Parts: sequence; structure tokens; C-alpha cells
Amino acid sequence: MLGFATRKLLISIVVLFFATLVAFLLVATVDPIAEQRVFLLSQPGGAEQVQRLEANLGLDKPLIERYGSWLGDLFTGNMGASTDNGRDVTTLLGEAIPVTMRLVIAATVVSVILGVAVGVVSAVRQYGAFDNISTFFAFLFFAMPVFWLGAVLKDLGIRFNDWWGRRIFFTIGEQSPRLEADFWGTWADRAGHIILPALTLLLIQLAATSRFQRSAMLDVLESDYIRTARAKGVPRRRIITHHALRNALLPVVSFTGLTFGTLIGGTVVTEVVFNWKGMGRLFLESLLNGDVAVTQGWLLAVGISVIVVNLLTDLTYGLLDPRVRDG
Amino acid sequence: MTGQTSSRAEIPVLSVRDLEVAFPTPDGDVQAVRSVGWDVYEGEVLAIAGESGSGKSVSVMAAMGLLPATAQVSGSIAYRGRDVLAMSDKDLERLRGSSISMVFQDPMTSLNPVMAVGAQIAEGVRIHQRVNSRTARSKAVELLDLVGIPNPGQRVDSYPHELSGGMRQRAMIAMAIANDPDLLIADEPTTALDVTIQAQVIDVLERAREATGSALVIITHDLGVVARIAHRILVMYAGRAAETGMADGVFERPSHPYTAGLLGSIPRLDAPKGTRLIPIDGAPPSMLAPPPGCAFAPRCPRATPLCSQEIPELRPIGNQQSACHHGEDQYNEDEDV
Repeated sequence: MLGFATRKLLISIVVLFFATLVAFLLVATVDPIAEQRVFLLSQPGGAEQVQRLEANLGLDKPLIERYGSWLGDLFTGNMGASTDNGRDVTTLLGEAIPVTMRLVIAATVVSVILGVAVGVVSAVRQYGAFDNISTFFAFLFFAMPVFWLGAVLKDLGIRFNDWWGRRIFFTIGEQSPRLEADFWGTWADRAGHIILPALTLLLIQLAATSRFQRSAMLDVLESDYIRTARAKGVPRRRIITHHALRNALLPVVSFTGLTFGTLIGGTVVTEVVFNWKGMGRLFLESLLNGDVAVTQGWLLAVGISVIVVNLLTDLTYGLLDPRVRDG
Repeated sequence: MTGQTSSRAEIPVLSVRDLEVAFPTPDGDVQAVRSVGWDVYEGEVLAIAGESGSGKSVSVMAAMGLLPATAQVSGSIAYRGRDVLAMSDKDLERLRGSSISMVFQDPMTSLNPVMAVGAQIAEGVRIHQRVNSRTARSKAVELLDLVGIPNPGQRVDSYPHELSGGMRQRAMIAMAIANDPDLLIADEPTTALDVTIQAQVIDVLERAREATGSALVIITHDLGVVARIAHRILVMYAGRAAETGMADGVFERPSHPYTAGLLGSIPRLDAPKGTRLIPIDGAPPSMLAPPPGCAFAPRCPRATPLCSQEIPELRPIGNQQSACHHGEDQYNEDEDV
């Protein structure tokens, strides 16, 4: 297992290097002063102004040199400053990441646990009432676009609050502004804010995970080694928990790792719908403002998170399946 | 030769009577087993032979209660006088793996890939015996040693993918005999293995049977593989018994043309030089709509109009029982050879 983990870690580091290259190139190959350039060049003496602008932004240097200095700065924790508000990219990311992490972790943990449970029960009682109902809802939510589900939940949340006469669900922001509360009060307030956006993300994720777990479980229950376990006299409950589930978790583990990127995409949309000041908002604003340093930093941060999640996925897979460990 | 296996007890370990198994499909019922009966006695080795689809596996799966829920089963299967078909799930779980256990065809897929082989053996021990995990583990090591796996102390922690096919089948056998069963059923135990390994696995099965004193039912499509150890043979065709009798008798003088065909299609060392193998022409009938008379008639060299009209019942011919209208002719022909 140690050798397997080391191997996966080394591969991740190589991938990380390429991620920095891609994050840099995606942004650096776009001309950030395209509009000004057209305008200035039509003015007398504009050519000098363009040159000065390019020198200021470092655009006169060759691409490889710009990448080198960007990478060098990265190692010292310096990701440049926002051209929009002059704040450090590191600080901006430092503020946005924890907010988004809360949302992503809550959605992932709940959708995986519930998805596995729903999938297993559906498979064990195939075509039973529970299976049919969960199949219906899985397709319903799977077919919904994130932004629409978010808007519907927001609306339902507000209606519920009105009916109840008290505010249970918060629909704007990740926490109440100017909140003065102790530790527990802060978390309670955050919990009230997170429910609806987390639900938006996780219902869609849950739909896919539960279908995936169901079919994996059905496959495994048909397999020869389950028949062997039955022939050994293993009780049915133990067959499901000890023999079938562990094997049926393998595809779901891969699936969860693979869809993490999609989940981040969903987060951007969800944050916009619910006015969260997290990574999604940061990304959208940086794009709209042509804020090169922030976009690059954002791409890199998300790239790293995808790499880390996939590393964790691989390690989990290795723990569950000895064949992968030795392979 | 019949008198020599007098070691058999009076009551069979397992007794199958008038067993019929059908599987409903959209095209109609597949009649996998059409009235079959057999007994197996203590310490005895019974070989059930026949080609794919002849119902040989289905009849033992029924005895283990391992048929899919959709299967329609009638008749009786008695384990030491207790009706297996009427047992509750709990009773079946107690029976399986302790009184009757089974070795399957494909050791590549029949072991749980994410569990060490020792753990899989120990699990069977702990389900049926009140022992702690350490005792179960050392029992697993013992069993691996018994079935001839080298370094059992290390192999106990190996995963299935780390073992060869032959070794995996040995591990399967170790698992099957972990609780000293009365009856060991091996369903095509050598079919998925290299020819060089087949004889070894048969030897291990025979050794396992001796060590536990159990009865052994081997299901096979290759009579050559079981010739050495089988006491008695049941030949099945299209869900029915074609012929049954003591192994020596069946091999020497088959009393059913299908048995003769099966024997003619396997190579023999004692055959005169230059003897050709004789294939059986044609294919087995569809079990959705079996032919009205003898199911083998369309492929049978001895078939007469009677054969395609009337189903032949099992009746004594020579020292065997044969379900053939022309069993005597077959039996007497082989006398001359």
C-alpha cells in the first residue's frame, strides 16, 4: 500500500506541474488589453502608450519567461494582485476557499452517504416500492439544471418561511452580515444559510450516485463469489454488508472522484443563485473584469483541488481493492 | 462389480426424487430438469455427466437452495430425510457450508476479489462453529495445507488474484470442507483449469473427501476426468436421466446410445492404436419445447419410430438402469467388443 501511495503521489505532483502550465496558458494567451490596443492605435502617439502598457503588465517578455516568473512567485506564495481592487490573490483565495469548501464538503459527504444507502436498498429490493420511488426522483433531479433547481428551492424556502412565520431557511449569502454571535451561534447561522444551496448541489449529485450504486450493487449480487458466499451459508445480511457492498463501492468511489470537477462547476452556479461570496463569485467577477492574476490563481486552486480529490479517490480505491494496490 | 461398494449406508445422504425445475422466460418455460431422481450415500463418489444444458448443475443447485427465486421446482430433495425444498431460509443457511457444501466451476470468479483467501475460509468456519477468529484462522492454515497449498502460513493472507487458477480451486475446496460436510458437491471443478492441473484438483477433491468422510458429487461433461474416482455415474440428457449405474459397468458396457456416444468422444489410452474419436452429431434439443419422445432420438443412431413417440422410462438393463427403448441392443453390442 505504501508503494502504491507513493506512486500515486508522484504522479499527482507531475500532474500538478502541468496544471500550473495550463492555468497559466489559458489566461496568458488571451490579450488582456485587446480593446485598449484597438482604441490607442487609432490615436496619434498611441503606439508608445501601448508599448508602455505592455511593459507595465510584462506582456513584452516572451511567454516562457512570463511563465517562469509566475511560477517562481507561486513558490513564494505570491500570486500577484487583482487588477480590479489591488488586493492580493492569495488573500482573495484565502477568503473564498473556506466558504466554498463548506458547501462542497457538505454536498459531497451527504450525497455519497445517502447515495450509497439509497442505491444499496434499491438494489436489494429491486423493483420494490422504494426502488421505484427512488428511481423516479433520481431521474427527476438528474434532469434538472442546477440554476433552475436552485431558484426553485430558494422560492420554496421563502414560502416555507412565510408559512412558518419564522426565518428557517436563509436564501442570500453564506452567513448573516454583521453577525455578532459566539462560536455556536456563528455555526448555527451558517447552517441555516447552507441548507438550500447544499441541497441544490447534492440532490443532483445524489441522483447520479444512487443510480450508480444501485447498478454496481446489482452487478455484484449476480456475481459468482456472492453465490459462493451463499453456498458457504453466510447469512443474507452479512452477504450484503461484507461481500457485496465492498465490491460495489469501487465504481462509486471512482465516480465520485471523476464528477468532482462537475460539482465545482455546479458550485459556481449555485453560489451565484444564492449570492455566496465564495470561489464561484470570485471566478465570475475575475472573468468579467479581465482580472488576469485572479483568474490564473483561481484556475490553479481549482486544479489543485481536483488533483487532491483524485489522489484521495485513488488511495481509497487502493484501500478497498487489493488488485489495484499491487497493479 | 456392484457388490464391492457395500460400504454405503442404508439411508442416502441426499435423495432426489421426481425433481422438476423450470425457468419462466418470455418465450415460455425452459424445462431445465424433467423428472430426475438420484441418491448419494455416505463416502460415495457420484459423477453426474452430461453436456451443457442437460440439467446436471440445476439439479444440485436446487439441492443447495441456490436457484433463482423465479425457478419453479417440484419433486423432493431430502437431506438425511429432511426435505430441503421445504426448509426456511435460516435452516438453509445452517445447512449450506456445514452439511452440504459446494465447489464451483470457475475459481477465477468464485472467490471474493477483495478478501484474503484465509479470511474467506475462516468466515465459513466462524459462521458454523463457535470459535474465535484466531482459531478460525489457524483452521484456515490447516485446511490450506491439507489441499496442498505450499506455505499455507503465508498464503492465508494472499488475495485471490495472487494465486494461480489451480491454487484458487484448491482454496475453494479448502473452503468447502472447512466444516466437515456430509456431502461435497463439485460443479465442473476442473473445466476452467489447464489440463495439467485437472488431475491434481481431482486428487485434492478425493483427498478432501477422505479427510472428511463426506460423500462427493462431481458434475462433469468429461467422463474421462472422473473415471478414476467415481463409484457411480448418472448420465443426464435434456433434463432427464439417460443411464445410471456403477462406474465400471457404465464405462465397460454402456446401455444407452448417448453414454456410448459420450465415451466414444473422449480419448482413451487403452484403445487400439488408430482408433478414431467419434463425435455425436447434431445439438441438444431446445428445452423450451423438448421433443415428444426420447430427447436423444434425433441424434441417435439406433432411433426407430417408437423413439420419437414414447418417452423411455428408466429400467434395469444388465447391471445398470437405462432410459432407452433399445438399451439391450446397446448393452449387448459392447459385450462383443
